[in-house]
Amino acid sequence: MTGKTQRDPAEQALIDRINQGFMVESEEDMTPGYKKSLLTQLTVQGDTELLSAPAYYLASRDAPNINSRIAVTAIVHDELGHANIAYRIMEDLGVDKQWLIYGRQPHEFKHPYGFDQPLENWAEMVVANGFFDRAGITLLSDVHEHTSYGPLKRALVKVDREEVLHLRHGESWMKRLAKAGGAVKEALQRAVDWMFPMTLEWFGLPDDLKRHSGQLVYRLKGKTNDQLRQTWMAATVPLCEGIGIDVPAHWDESAQTYAIDYPFPCQYDPEAKRWLFDEPLSWDQVFDRWKARGPMNQRYVEMIQGAFGSSVAN
Amino acid sequence: MPTEAAVWQALRHVTDPEFPLSIVDLGMVYGVRVVRGRVDVDLTFTSIGCPAIEMLTTDVREAAGAVPGVEAVHVDVVWNPPWTKDRISERGRQVLAMYGVVC
Repeated sequence: MTGKTQRDPAEQALIDRINQGFMVESEEDMTPGYKKSLLTQLTVQGDTELLSAPAYYLASRDAPNINSRIAVTAIVHDELGHANIAYRIMEDLGVDKQWLIYGRQPHEFKHPYGFDQPLENWAEMVVANGFFDRAGITLLSDVHEHTSYGPLKRALVKVDREEVLHLRHGESWMKRLAKAGGAVKEALQRAVDWMFPMTLEWFGLPDDLKRHSGQLVYRLKGKTNDQLRQTWMAATVPLCEGIGIDVPAHWDESAQTYAIDYPFPCQYDPEAKRWLFDEPLSWDQVFDRWKARGPMNQRYVEMIQGAFGSSVAN
Repeated sequence: MPTEAAVWQALRHVTDPEFPLSIVDLGMVYGVRVVRGRVDVDLTFTSIGCPAIEMLTTDVREAAGAVPGVEAVHVDVVWNPPWTKDRISERGRQVLAMYGVVC
């Protein structure tokens, strides 16, 4: 045995071409391995956008005035459009879009665990925009910059622009709520307390545990999970520190990275919306928690499928 | 005593939520009046259902309020005359064209 992975010659040839700057434009350019990795990436991307919509829609009812509600419903509209973009690209690769939306069971969607949680007040809504949409931008702008798949690269121009609005909406409101002080600021802190670790976990396995990543090999993305997590913290930790909101992470001067101040990963109590810092988990246990899905999974998927899905056989 | 020019300059830093383009270049600022420390800004939006009304109003208040000598900022949202794309500056058109927006 050699230390080097033995790959199918066709796969290796495509990887070599991609490394020389080749852009994949159609199914004819793909190998089975490439197509599988791309479809996995697009499924997660589309499902994440799709399931953010019911979560944000329900929380839009907590908006403090009509213009704020319009802002959130416009964001819901954007997110559904982004889901359509991912699914539409999959459709060109032979996947049935109708099945993607209406043919799957709630637990079969591949969105992050964070979008299985209820957003129960305006503070949670705007922190979702500030944290979850920041995670979305972090992941998608990396894909936009590095992807070897031409159609996705072009489609993401619009997506990235719109995500900037969501993020600005979230951060602008987080600053306002912090400035208001008192009970308003306390509600913001409570939202951050569960949503900050939720987003850190979203980026997945740390690099030292990460098995072979097809998405990196085929240049479907550029940064590793840990690099993406660092990029997210580099924006989020200073934002929170600047408005007097505590987060369980800090800049480690000697290591020149952001350090997480609790056993990562650890257990989460979705009923109490509380992270149990005294109950560290293995990543396999985290994956089990994700696969069991969270409290709102069923309802959110039913909202999506119920909208137009009654006529479609399941 | 703050000047109207200083307030206009400050508003050039308030950008569209999606594109790196100021609300001044978008032609959304209809007027600025300064009386002693009080600033009045006439601001319109590109549509009545604009999702950024709350956000941009806050940004305008903060930007104008940061001009030395300004004590109070009043944002008057106006809908007349209605905004049209003809109000976008030449510079604004160039920025939007970079993102594939034709106007």
